[in-house]
Amino acid sequence: MANSWPTLAGIAVFLAMLGLQQLIEPGTQRLLTAVFLFVALAQAWNIIGGYTGYASFGQVAFFGLGAYTVAVLMNNYHVSFWAAMPVAIVIGVAFAVGIGVPLLRLRGHYFAIATLGAAEGAREVINNMTPVTGGGGGITIPTFGDQAPTAYLGKPGFYIAFLVVAAASVAIAAVLARSRFGYAMVAVNQDEDAAASVGINTTLVKVIAFGVSAAIVACAGAFYAFQQIAFYPTDVFDTSFTVLMVIMVVIGGSGTVLGPLVGAVGLELLAQYLRVNLGIYNQLIFGAIIVLVVIFFPQGVVNFFRDAWRSRNFSILDNVRRYRL
Amino acid sequence: MSQFLQAAAYGFVQGGLLALVAVGFSLVWGIMNVINLSHGALAVTGAYLAWLLNTHFGIDPFLSIPIVAACMFVLGYVIQRGLINLVINAPIFLTLLLTFGLGLVILNTLQLVFTADDRSIETSYASQSFVIWTVNIPYGRLGACALAVAITVLLALVMTRTRLGRAIGATGMDRGAARLMGIRARHIYAVTFGISAALAGIAGTMIATVGTFNPTSTPSQLTLDAFVISVLGGLGNMYGALAGGLVLGVAESIGGLVLTGTWVNAIAMAVLILTLIIRPSGLIGKAQYGGRVEV
Amino acid sequence: MIAPQPAAADPILQVRKLSKRFGGLWAVRDVSFEVAEGQILGIIGPNGAGKSTLINLITGHLRPTSGQVLIDGDDVTGSRPWVIAHDRVARTFQIVKPFRGLTVRENVAIGAMHGSERDRSVRDALATADRVLDLVGIAQHAGAAPSQLSVADARRLELAKALACRPRLLLIDEVMAGLRQKEIEAAVELIHKLRDGGISIVAVEHVMKAVVAISDRVLVLHHGSVLTEGPPQEVLADQRVIEAYLGRRYMKRRST
Repeated sequence: MANSWPTLAGIAVFLAMLGLQQLIEPGTQRLLTAVFLFVALAQAWNIIGGYTGYASFGQVAFFGLGAYTVAVLMNNYHVSFWAAMPVAIVIGVAFAVGIGVPLLRLRGHYFAIATLGAAEGAREVINNMTPVTGGGGGITIPTFGDQAPTAYLGKPGFYIAFLVVAAASVAIAAVLARSRFGYAMVAVNQDEDAAASVGINTTLVKVIAFGVSAAIVACAGAFYAFQQIAFYPTDVFDTSFTVLMVIMVVIGGSGTVLGPLVGAVGLELLAQYLRVNLGIYNQLIFGAIIVLVVIFFPQGVVNFFRDAWRSRNFSILDNVRRYRL
Repeated sequence: MSQFLQAAAYGFVQGGLLALVAVGFSLVWGIMNVINLSHGALAVTGAYLAWLLNTHFGIDPFLSIPIVAACMFVLGYVIQRGLINLVINAPIFLTLLLTFGLGLVILNTLQLVFTADDRSIETSYASQSFVIWTVNIPYGRLGACALAVAITVLLALVMTRTRLGRAIGATGMDRGAARLMGIRARHIYAVTFGISAALAGIAGTMIATVGTFNPTSTPSQLTLDAFVISVLGGLGNMYGALAGGLVLGVAESIGGLVLTGTWVNAIAMAVLILTLIIRPSGLIGKAQYGGRVEV
Repeated sequence: MIAPQPAAADPILQVRKLSKRFGGLWAVRDVSFEVAEGQILGIIGPNGAGKSTLINLITGHLRPTSGQVLIDGDDVTGSRPWVIAHDRVARTFQIVKPFRGLTVRENVAIGAMHGSERDRSVRDALATADRVLDLVGIAQHAGAAPSQLSVADARRLELAKALACRPRLLLIDEVMAGLRQKEIEAAVELIHKLRDGGISIVAVEHVMKAVVAISDRVLVLHHGSVLTEGPPQEVLADQRVIEAYLGRRYMKRRST
């Protein structure tokens, strides 16, 4: 019975967010929609970066690929969004497996840059496929009249859509974390050789984790494309998405289900607040906050409180000394 | 044909400049296993320093180099000792995030103080060039390239011949053993980062002399270039960074001739990834991940 | 007509002319031996003789330059480590490799979840882990972190992780190093218990007393090649073996 209360809590929150929609104004709806998007992205990154320990800096590649798949299918071939979205996921996963098999052999920094390079490369390729994707001129999804393959979902519609994607990502992460596969990911993270010698197919584990992560990100990208209607390659292949994903997970606490959730919600709300209230200083403060959180909570806020609770030591100064030279 | 030669020559001297940007980045990565995402921002800081010295005191950029280098060294030392040291034992992406945040703070501060306008340092000689055959080589860039080579050689000599340099190399190879030998690792790391910041500052000064810079796009472009060059040349490998810079400079220049649009970037990325897969120790140099400075 | 005799069961491990070269150095050269089911083979040799390399070659962590490894008659040469593990071969590492962020119980459960004949659920694996921890004698530390264990207990954890994979062949690498007298005796007893439970064992060891106590046969490696093989008492009295450990000059001085 102890195991089911997080599930119950999760369902309760989901229903609450659903009901909340009736009560809030459109501005807040838009804000929460963005929060849901980042919850999904953070959970996705956590699967490959947090649990498995392969910090990918190219997740935005799947976002962009998902976005462009949907846009191209809807614009050029008048495919309904609901048919295009699964294709976007498949393409994201295919790309992940394609680059994953060679790149997952690299470790640490090398893997990080290689994935970053892959994301940049993907953007360039899309940028240059002008006849299909509109290249640097951007692409537009038809949304009005009979040109539109699917009716635009509208703000309320996208609120629900992103909420579902976020909930799905949390659910997937939760199921994985408790499963044998979850343990395998952690084992690969902590000692790949030892993991291999107890029977874990480390290559398969890494590729699957990478693929699942890509699927979630691609799905989010697909919905994002539909929501934005018109965008350029630099919009959906923006490295800021990757950076934000990573920061949210690290600040929240990697390797847990709750961490990315806390990180995404906290950071996105913070970013919005800064944007609105601090105008030109917002990036500066944002950078400073990143620095401070990394120094004071290197293991993430959730993990800090979990460890502090266990050892009854809430001293932040002690925490700062953890990774110090 | 002459177009080709021109592109190659231009790319070569441009490459020297790029190498200067990369050398400090590669040093920190190789010795301390820290990828400094604020490296570009530090370079631009140096550029602004030199620009200030030039516009307010009329000091020639080449002459202001010692001042810029000294100031940046102190800044780098403080940043390492006070900030980066705090997370140096943490998983890698924490230092990535820290330096990323730091970079944001630096470049936004610069933007607030100096505005986002493009700036550059005017000199009487930089834009003039001398001509060999039909090839046009600007003096400014040539000077920067020569400086890059000189600094790389100087740095390599310091690393191998001086006590400090060898202490740095030892700490990079095996920090624990180095400390047991009496080397103060915290101080060494701070000195290393200080050197890297000074190099970045010098590079920034040169960039300001031969072209324009701004606080928004220049830092990230420089950091990315430093990335690619460090990987090509091998981490911590000084001559490798030089060679990598030259290769990248020439490749980008000739690529710009032959290929249209942004295919050049795509190919640069492909080369980067292939290098990492096939020969992560670097195409040109040899280096160990998190290992020693090699000459 | 005399009915044909059934073929004798294949030895559980056969190593044939196994070799590994690193650049110009032969770490292991033309090593051949067999381990029959239920046997304990001790492997000894001076430092740098190639003992750990040999284990890595058999378990798939290194690819041999040439030669063959057969488990139960099946050629598994060059297979990846998890394939070997699924063939019911398990190993320990000389420098223990626990999963630091997990509890002792979870460490062992990972083997139970992913080894051959793996448990279907996490809960079953944790139960198996408890049984294995009991077998090796560290059940009282089940909820602790690996970093909190003593050296002897850490070795037992390493063993438990391997045992959770339900191996028929166990390769252990210098498990006695740094243990005290009482701890060595307890370890020897445990190894005998494992063999009695049906596990064949290859034990790389440096502690001679333990080697004699556990081994049915002993193999001596020197500079990557087999020097000699035979019953423990014979091998340890062999002049060549003594010379390999103590050096030619010592031998010369002794004989004068």
